[in-house]
Amino acid sequence: MPCLHFFFATSVLDFRQPEGLSSKARQLAARHLQLCHEARLREGEVRKMRASNEEWDFMGRTFLVWSLANMGLREPASKATYLEAMDQIIDETLRLENERGMYFFLMPYAKLRPFVVQPVHSLFLDGEIAMMLASRRLLEEKPEYKAPLSARVESITERFMHSPKMLLESYPDECWTFDHAVALGAIRLADYLDGTDHSGLFHDWLSMAKERLIHRESGLLMSNFTLELTPLNGPEGSSIWMVAHCLQLLDEEFARDQYQRARKELGRTTLGFSYAREWPVSWVGPADIDSGPIIPVFNISAGSSGMAFIGAAAFHDNQFLSSLAATLDFAAFPNRMGNRLKYCASNQAGDAALLYAATLGPLWQKVKFRAPL
Amino acid sequence: MKTRLATLWHAEFFSATDFLRHAIFIIAFYTVAQLAGLREFTSFLSGTMGSVNLGWEISGLFGIGYILVYLAFVVLVPILILAAGILTLWRKLLSPNDKV
Repeated sequence: MPCLHFFFATSVLDFRQPEGLSSKARQLAARHLQLCHEARLREGEVRKMRASNEEWDFMGRTFLVWSLANMGLREPASKATYLEAMDQIIDETLRLENERGMYFFLMPYAKLRPFVVQPVHSLFLDGEIAMMLASRRLLEEKPEYKAPLSARVESITERFMHSPKMLLESYPDECWTFDHAVALGAIRLADYLDGTDHSGLFHDWLSMAKERLIHRESGLLMSNFTLELTPLNGPEGSSIWMVAHCLQLLDEEFARDQYQRARKELGRTTLGFSYAREWPVSWVGPADIDSGPIIPVFNISAGSSGMAFIGAAAFHDNQFLSSLAATLDFAAFPNRMGNRLKYCASNQAGDAALLYAATLGPLWQKVKFRAPL
Repeated sequence: MKTRLATLWHAEFFSATDFLRHAIFIIAFYTVAQLAGLREFTSFLSGTMGSVNLGWEISGLFGIGYILVYLAFVVLVPILILAAGILTLWRKLLSPNDKV
């Protein structure tokens, strides 16, 4: 048994390359591009995801667009292909939001009670759509997306200005740290693109978060709150890895601290296979739609383990990343069809998040180091 | 061929042939599960239904079934084959007919 992981261990470079694209990234991307081109296949995948969680339909789109932006920066020769797919996804997402309303991408409980703040907005949608638009424009400027991005950013910043606790709803009286980190990251990208400056907002929100959103025992950011700052859930793995990655755009030191704490509190390695827990030992929480079913004894959460790839890739934790990749090949049931790859234990949104982990880097680098457009 | 199959089928419990027989059964089960496309149903691990038409119960059942057969294939088959090899070698070395 202790030797089993040797059969699945590969170089971290198979999953993620410092430059260019790894073989896994290429194969995962090929599968996603196939889904972009084959409507019937895509509908089947979306139908399966929406039967459990409407959010996955949305996040499958956003993670894919962010991945394609990074891929375009990594591999300029294929930029045109990636831009075409990005535009297709963005336009369809905006159309669906416009035609069916924001509830189309939210879980049904969003309708069970009214949002506290009116008019109704979900930071989950606004932040991720803003990040999609900004990512697209960072890869190559598209004038048609300038106004929609500015409108999202202005709407978010205005709501922050009127929020006494600096928290915005994603669901009725439910504010998610994940969505705040993504939204603030998107505003940072917009600042880079349009020459605006929201550093005051970032400073104020980070000060509030460090003071009010931290779980005392683990030092990790908790995952969701009411508008009055009452914690709803503690630090969760399916949020914190991405939160730490987005914080890299705002406060590198705080981001690294959160990653290292998450690694210690949630990251585990057994017999050479790494995975992540949904909750730290100091917090008892249930399995939910974000965590996926939690495998007893080891407390393995598919949701947290998948998102841990993003954390490990963002903070260049190659040992953890390589061991996570071994677990992926052992327990996520890869299915290779020619040059295409999908993980059967995952879904399109999960595979898009993995693709993002395999490609992330260039977008953040461009903004942080202000490389010329 | 028939004789070989019969030997395999009637192998003595806990013998090298017995280990090999179990390994072959597991490989056969795994191959059938794989060809039947049951791997797709492991999506229940991420909370995703394997097939909307079949529903949660059947999809989950297929998924769990596949995982059990897969784990047997990747964990037990190598152990059984190694055990069969070691046992054969051990018996040969200890056999009184063999010159040492």
